[in-house]
Amino acid sequence: MIPIEMFLGLSAVLFAVGAYGVLTKKNGLVVLMCIEMMLNAANINFIAFAAFFNDVAGQVFVIMAISVAAAEVAVGIAILLNLYKTSGTTDLEEINILRW
Amino acid sequence: MTMPDFTLIAPQLIVLAAALLVPGLYFLTRNDKLVGMFSIVSVLAAGLYLGWMMMEGVTGSFLDVYAVDEFSLLLTGMFLMVALLVLLASLKSVERDRHHGEYYALLLAATAGMMFVACAEDLIGIFVGVELTSISSYALVAFRKNDPRAAEAAVKYLVIGGLSTALTLYGFSLLYGVTQTTNLEAIALAIGAAPTGGLLISVAMIIAGLGFKITTVPFHMWAPDVYEGATAPVTTFLAVGSKKMGFVAFFKIFLVGFIAAQATLVSDVQYAFAVLAAITMTVGNVVALSQTNMKRLLAYSSIAQGGYLMMVLAIMTPYALTGGLFHMITHVFMKGGAFIIVAALCYLSMGEKLSDYKGLAKRAPVLAFAMLIFLFALAGVPPLAGFVSKFVLFSSAVGFPGELVETQWIWLVFVAVINSAISLYYYARVVKFMYVDEGESIEPIKVPMPFMAAILICLVAVIAIGVFPEPVITLCENAATALMG
Repeated sequence: MIPIEMFLGLSAVLFAVGAYGVLTKKNGLVVLMCIEMMLNAANINFIAFAAFFNDVAGQVFVIMAISVAAAEVAVGIAILLNLYKTSGTTDLEEINILRW
Repeated sequence: MTMPDFTLIAPQLIVLAAALLVPGLYFLTRNDKLVGMFSIVSVLAAGLYLGWMMMEGVTGSFLDVYAVDEFSLLLTGMFLMVALLVLLASLKSVERDRHHGEYYALLLAATAGMMFVACAEDLIGIFVGVELTSISSYALVAFRKNDPRAAEAAVKYLVIGGLSTALTLYGFSLLYGVTQTTNLEAIALAIGAAPTGGLLISVAMIIAGLGFKITTVPFHMWAPDVYEGATAPVTTFLAVGSKKMGFVAFFKIFLVGFIAAQATLVSDVQYAFAVLAAITMTVGNVVALSQTNMKRLLAYSSIAQGGYLMMVLAIMTPYALTGGLFHMITHVFMKGGAFIIVAALCYLSMGEKLSDYKGLAKRAPVLAFAMLIFLFALAGVPPLAGFVSKFVLFSSAVGFPGELVETQWIWLVFVAVINSAISLYYYARVVKFMYVDEGESIEPIKVPMPFMAAILICLVAVIAIGVFPEPVITLCENAATALMG
């Protein structure tokens, strides 16, 4: 059996890559993709732990998390599309009407 | 297997069912007044049922995911109150927009999410409830989709909200990993033996992730932008509703789940929250001093109020939780009332800029008086509700008379009291604008009925709770005991 550290390592790398993308990328769609990657990193954790403990709660959590992520992307893409319609860009650094 | 007892979560189900019916009703009738009234009636029906549950003292557990006790009943009631105020303010605010069916449906769905968090006793329940509210609020912020400010605010809220979801979920996954369970009571039992390293990372992730929701200071930058860009009733909803939901999730995780962790870890977490609370209230109040936009000023004041509430997580006693719950309830009326006045003025195409408030006392005496009461209550001037709730909250750091005096958190109270004094400055500035300064126009303002109704509810509540706080304090005390045992 593959040791659980492997899965945790994979998910940590995936999470870090996603977080790096959210912090550095300018395009809203890419940022959204990076957020999905971070969510999936957490899902890998849950599945790995659930298989390791032989417990079903982790798997239930993953199903919930996947449906939440799907809803979030559906709303998110609509919001980004709307930004593109009103301001002609999806570049997050160019939107700056609101600031103190 | 027996059927679970659905009557336990009936208030949530009523609101959720209404959220599903509203778009269809709007599609059939195309009548925005009708769907607005239908939403209000459904919230009132849920409230009535909840009142009956409180009278009967119903308790129980729905599939070990949702628990019904004094704590969840009180907070469910608070969230229904928020929904009622926001719906009243929405009736007129959105009448000139399209897509009313979607608007009311999203508002009701978000309310249902908050109510589910109030009674969740499992990480899954907390996560799903928080996300139901968050995703509905992203869409609500973008509701005026042709307004570039709303579009921008929605994108900022979406990106920050998504990041916060990811951090929270990762934190939950590690918490599941170190305790082997997602049930909060079981986490409390298992946490003593959990490995410290994984637990520490998971705590940091959860604080950061949910910290976005309650606008703790390093994670607060989105709040003023989103509050400014959103429609005023939606801003009200975010400031007094979804932020409280973040606090409830924090209370559940840290006051139920973590209370039995190793003593060193608990005191580290307490210190982290104390420092965050002090920074949050200071930054919120200091930045609020220089604001010229009313929504932004209230947003920063709301960040500062969040800082006061975070003291509960530092002190971690039932007394502090009583104060925290009490302050959350009074905050609904004070901040909600102030934002609804802004919403009413926005409806009349003014009210966003601070200078719009010049000479308001002559143009709309009732409105100006209500604003004065709400702002003074927020600053904590006796005998208003804000004074009593701040008093209970701040005094919890020192403890009961006769009890062993904890000197550990006295510095935190000191910071909080100084901050209250700072906040009085910018609240008083608005009052000066309304009562002393001359406005450009002296034309009287006529505020529509639904706004007046919402403002009067808040006004009566702020004064009544300030003069007779005992019944509410007793409710909060029972709720705190129910949560912390």
